[in-house]
Amino acid sequence: MEFFLQQTVNGLTLGSVYALLALGYSMVYGILKLLNFAHGEVYMFGAFAGYGVLTVLGGASSPVVPVWLLITLMFAGAIVVSSAIGVALERFAYRPLREAPRIAPLISAIGASFFLQAAALLMFGSRSRSYSTPTLVDFSTSIPFGPIRVWMVRVLVIVTAVVLMVLLTLWVSRTRTGKAVRAVSFDREAAAMMGIDVDKVIVVTFLIGSALAGVAGVMVGLVFGRIFHLMGFFAGLKAFTAAVVGGIGSIPGAMLGGLLIGLAEAYSTGYIGALYQNLIVFGILIVVLLVRPRGLLGRPELVKV
Amino acid sequence: MRKGSIWRIVALLMALTMVAAACGSDSDDTTTTTAAAAATTTTTSGPAATTTTAAASTPCVASIGIMGPFTGDAAFIGQVQLNWAKYAVELFNGDMGSNITLIEFDTMIDPAQGAILAPQAVDDSDIVGVIGPAGSQVVNAVGPIFDPAQMAFISPSSTEVGLAEKYDFLFRNVPLDDVQGPTSAAYMVAQGAQKVFVIDDQTSYSTGLAGTIQSELETAGVTVETDSVVQDATDFSALVSTIPDDTDFVYLPWQIASNGEILGNQLAEQGKDITIFGSDGMDSADFNIAGSVVAAFAPDLAAIPDSADLLAGYLAQYDETNTFGPVAFAATKVLLEAVDRVCQAGGIDSGDATATRALVAAEVALTDQSADETILRAPLSFTSIGELDGGAYFISEIQPDGSYLVVG
Repeated sequence: MEFFLQQTVNGLTLGSVYALLALGYSMVYGILKLLNFAHGEVYMFGAFAGYGVLTVLGGASSPVVPVWLLITLMFAGAIVVSSAIGVALERFAYRPLREAPRIAPLISAIGASFFLQAAALLMFGSRSRSYSTPTLVDFSTSIPFGPIRVWMVRVLVIVTAVVLMVLLTLWVSRTRTGKAVRAVSFDREAAAMMGIDVDKVIVVTFLIGSALAGVAGVMVGLVFGRIFHLMGFFAGLKAFTAAVVGGIGSIPGAMLGGLLIGLAEAYSTGYIGALYQNLIVFGILIVVLLVRPRGLLGRPELVKV
Repeated sequence: MRKGSIWRIVALLMALTMVAAACGSDSDDTTTTTAAAAATTTTTSGPAATTTTAAASTPCVASIGIMGPFTGDAAFIGQVQLNWAKYAVELFNGDMGSNITLIEFDTMIDPAQGAILAPQAVDDSDIVGVIGPAGSQVVNAVGPIFDPAQMAFISPSSTEVGLAEKYDFLFRNVPLDDVQGPTSAAYMVAQGAQKVFVIDDQTSYSTGLAGTIQSELETAGVTVETDSVVQDATDFSALVSTIPDDTDFVYLPWQIASNGEILGNQLAEQGKDITIFGSDGMDSADFNIAGSVVAAFAPDLAAIPDSADLLAGYLAQYDETNTFGPVAFAATKVLLEAVDRVCQAGGIDSGDATATRALVAAEVALTDQSADETILRAPLSFTSIGELDGGAYFISEIQPDGSYLVVG
């Protein structure tokens, strides 16, 4: 039981990160029918932004502000940087290609991904950086969860992810802008005819999706420690898988997909072996696509005939 | 406040944050990297002689290459190797009045990168020998390219058994995994280990060493469990959960030391009081968990009084060193002396690179340095297949202040 609970905590931590990342993929796909392959790099820049704030404020060994404030500011810094990069991507890499054949923005997204990776390499070098979180928050700062104890940083990650997902759901369903986002994702032309500023809605979507990616980047730095310029590639791949498994374009689907993929990784490592992790995760993707192509919570696409 | 002003402030904050991230470094971060990820070559020339002691009768003009991970997560190996090689070239040129140029090839410890760079080294007819590459997997990538070109390549940090049998022109001045494995296993057995968990990172270096360790430990009656990860992984918490609490050692034959740091932290997070034993690839400031144990194929140079001047001269120019550096210095010195002997015999023929390289390789094979002549104060010669004759591994425990204490 203890082992199962530990793996569940491990999986929920990882799944929270994937869920936040997958939301960005799903939101952008829902609006533009575009797979934003540069999303993983937005997450990576968020992680480095958090590291930058940590460095400026004294580092893990001697922070000049209380730890809670330090972590809050790290998240804030990541949100600012990642949002700005996301908005810039939309403006310069995708908007000019909105009316082009669908392959064009896809290629642009791939190009943007490599551009950002190369930019990060030049800016930060190729050595990884460490948040040194155990120096900031000792492992003994933990809460009991049945027979095991869970490090407070993992609790923070899971709780923050849940809160953000709830807030996003409320925003999409209850606010005027959220309704506009849903309208644009349903039918862009009709939404424009109804007086919705489509460009603004798309920018807001990128902004929020990228902000969530930035938060995910800081979470990874806090829990796992190591950040580096290529970290966005595999995380982006797994998050994309999560978005597809949950139903690309579906916000609840992205959340569910992220958590499922995280748990699948943890359980497969725990009960089978670490090397089977990717085999099982991508195997799930294939099975879902074969059995339920729209994803677990995706809605079928209506096409007028 | 107007919208435009807000965006300007946001842009300024972004820029400041990115600058802070770029400049920020852990206490464990070492040198900054400068090369881009793509295959690059840059040229470093030894300075013209300013002092002469035993100047050669004919100044030797030639080039040698150095291959290593100068950027990337294994840069803690490559950067130090490069700096010590530069130092060796500088001293040699100064002492001998020669003008030997060191040309750099950044492999990022990636075999694919090595396979791209090796032909570049071969195509440069001025290059008569190569130091490196680091990493057995990269040796396997460049060996098939260097052998036909008869290019001697002296690797100061690849330890997989059997490579010299595969590649005629490979030389290695480090003891191999068939020494590291038994030495490391013997240490764990001597510490009373009953259960060891071995995790490899799927590179040829790692799986070879893991296999050797497992065999040695099981022969000694120790229970061994194994698993594997990939080098790109950043989360080991699920794997850590599978490690039994009564495990005595977790053995990590890894090349990315920072990954070892993550795993160690996650062991502590889950309340598992298990000692990590890292292979020579973990011998880095990126892995700094007090109480852990690391193997190294060379002693700490600071503990060799007769090499104090060399160390001081090096540190006057470069910020940091580790056990990989002096071994690279030794390898470079071997190659430089071989090149010089060919020079003195009139064997450098810029029109026939292959013939020149063959002569250099033959001279490398004849290397027979006494203990007084080497930086590590141990004799250096090669066996008939190009392996180091003799050699031993050193086991060190990481102290709370980050220093290493030799324990075996």
